[in-house]
Amino acid sequence: MALIELQHITKTYDLGLSKVHALRDIDFNIEKGEFVAIVGQSGSGKSTLMNILGCLDVPTTGAYLLGGRDVSTLADDELADVRNLEIGFVFQSFQLLPRASALENVELPLIYRGVSPRERREKAKAALDRVQLGDRTHHKPTELSGGQRQRVAIARALVTDPSLLLADEPTGNLDSATGEDIIRLFLELHAAGNTIVLVTHEPKLAARCPRAVRVVDGLVVADGEGQRVAFENQRDIDAAAAAALAAQQQMASGLSQREPGTGAHHG
Amino acid sequence: MAEATLPAAAPKRAPIKHKRIGFWRSILRIFRELREAIVQALTSLVAHRLRAALTITGIAIGVGTVIAIYSAVAGLDDSFAKQLSMLGPNTLYVSKWSWGSNRENWWKLRNRPGVGRGDYRALLAGAKLPEAVAPIVGTQSTVGIGEHELQNIDIRGTTDAFLESGGFQVKHGRFLTSVDEEIGTDACIIGADLEDAFFKNAEPLGGRLKVGPMSRCTVVGTLVRKGNAFGQSQDKVLILPLSSFGRAFGAKRSMTIAAVAPIGRVRETEEELIQVLRTYRRILPDQDDNFTVNRQDKILQSFNQTTLALKVVAGLIGVITLLVGGIGIMNIMLVSVKERTREIGVRRALGARRSTILLQFLCEAVAVSCVGGMVGTALGIGVAWFLAQVTPMSAAVSPSVLLLGVGFSIGTGLLFGIWPAASAALLQPIEALRHE
Ligand SMILES: Nc1ncnc2c1ncn2[C@@H]1O[C@H](COP(=O)(O)OP(=O)(O)OP(=O)(O)O)[C@@H](O)[C@H]1O
Ligand SMILES: [Mg+2]
Repeated sequence: MALIELQHITKTYDLGLSKVHALRDIDFNIEKGEFVAIVGQSGSGKSTLMNILGCLDVPTTGAYLLGGRDVSTLADDELADVRNLEIGFVFQSFQLLPRASALENVELPLIYRGVSPRERREKAKAALDRVQLGDRTHHKPTELSGGQRQRVAIARALVTDPSLLLADEPTGNLDSATGEDIIRLFLELHAAGNTIVLVTHEPKLAARCPRAVRVVDGLVVADGEGQRVAFENQRDIDAAAAAALAAQQQMASGLSQREPGTGAHHG
Repeated sequence: MAEATLPAAAPKRAPIKHKRIGFWRSILRIFRELREAIVQALTSLVAHRLRAALTITGIAIGVGTVIAIYSAVAGLDDSFAKQLSMLGPNTLYVSKWSWGSNRENWWKLRNRPGVGRGDYRALLAGAKLPEAVAPIVGTQSTVGIGEHELQNIDIRGTTDAFLESGGFQVKHGRFLTSVDEEIGTDACIIGADLEDAFFKNAEPLGGRLKVGPMSRCTVVGTLVRKGNAFGQSQDKVLILPLSSFGRAFGAKRSMTIAAVAPIGRVRETEEELIQVLRTYRRILPDQDDNFTVNRQDKILQSFNQTTLALKVVAGLIGVITLLVGGIGIMNIMLVSVKERTREIGVRRALGARRSTILLQFLCEAVAVSCVGGMVGTALGIGVAWFLAQVTPMSAAVSPSVLLLGVGFSIGTGLLFGIWPAASAALLQPIEALRHE
């Protein structure tokens, strides 16, 4: 049985005057141990889908079966437990608690499953070691680089040993070299047996995933080998990228910004 | 940077078997979440010192006011209870004055004839129920030995029956006897303050004192210490035989006659006293009494009415100030929830339930109000103590008042924290995460 079964999922945002059909008919499965990239243009519904996968939101219609259980029927407290026990979520904007140290941030999900303080500390340390941040345990988020912050967030997602690791554009706020580190970390986690679903804008990253799903306007238009799906519409993407680059350069010259350095860390 | 040094975790999870939090774990979780909530609340308190301090001040003033007023009223109660204890519970006091009467009455009562020796003799002869009848007259005068003099000593003139009316107890020596009264001896009994003042290192019995115009009184007994009531010592007292008192200070003073009723027959005795006096004074059936038979419980009633009014006012002031403090709490909690919306989203995404979030923010509200309550309690006790020092009032700080202060503040925190906390708990996780 598949770890994730999505059966005709739709999501409609009712804005009163208009309705936004963010997801229209999403219907695919993800097996345990898979590494799936979700790609698509901005506004195509990727985040909406991820939020449903992460039990942060519920579909308007359709069923989402996680490990054979329909989570759309669960009560709020049960959903919270599912989020805690089954899912590790990594956000584009890290979402670390600013006042807490790296270690305390990683300990957080363990509190909600009643783990003792000492065991929490041990597990959180081990998780930070796993993302090579064993020497930064007492640093606050503001004392860490962007890449380090995202690795703290990944450690926090991993510390509960989740069935499913979800990452919504985890490299979106990072420069390409740091993003490369993060992707390599995900590949390693996949090799170690984790099931991972990752949203990315960058075809190069998606191409390295064994499987990719392309979403357009709330519909799955392609699902297959990462290599193939990621570059399917390469011409469109190149055109869009060129336009974006042109706009950026225009702005940069206008504001005489610092030149974009490939090795510089974000934040 | 990230090298491939990960431990190879085995893919061991079976997809069908759902992970669960066991029963005992879920019980443990409540305590661990509570502990975390308290730590968070204190951390947040320290992080927002100034903001918290202002709110704490509000609560502290409210709680402090309540505690100060209640301590003062309790002190009043104590003094009163002490003074009442001088009056035996079965003793009736016949007097020109009505205890606990108001000002209007005062003018009416002023014109009544005084209670005198005639009334006393009439009661002695005509009232069969009382176990003892004692006339009491009093004044203030100077008492001394040689050059050593004390002013404003309560001088009482009475008879041997006075002891039975309750109030004083003899410590050493004896009380007055009927012989003292008949002969008009120079015997006197002194209160504890006088004993201390004049016979510090000497034997009081047989000692000689100058009392007002009397050049020589002989101490035949001493009284057990009674302590203070309404900030005044009840031990600055000297008791003389009625006849001797009359010779020295004049016999025409209005007196109070104490009559001790048999236990359980206070009402009957009261009736009898009224009947005997009405007959003696030739009061016609359609005329009002021109005297009053006072009872301890009557004065207690009027006193309780007064202090009840005080307590109600204190309570109102307390409720209003706590209301103001509570609004302060609600305000900073709403700000706190707003500021930490994203944090709430993160916690919810990581598995915090609604109740967890509710608990966290309630703890924060209670932490603020509780600190306010403790500061306020200290403040209130301080003010009560200060009042007791500079005014004749005494202040009694009872443990129940402390509980009241802390309880009130916790209640305020809960009451005014519940809405912000609930609004935090009801946030949708994704909406909270998206919050800027
Ligand atoms: N809370 C919301 N209320 C109304 N409409 C929403 C809401 N969230 C998303 N949408 C709409 O749903 C559509 C899909 O949004 P979504 O965030 O899933 O896109 P995305 O693929 O993640 O885009 P991006 O790559 O820019 O992150 C968009 O048209 C968006 O405007
Ligand atoms: Mg998105």
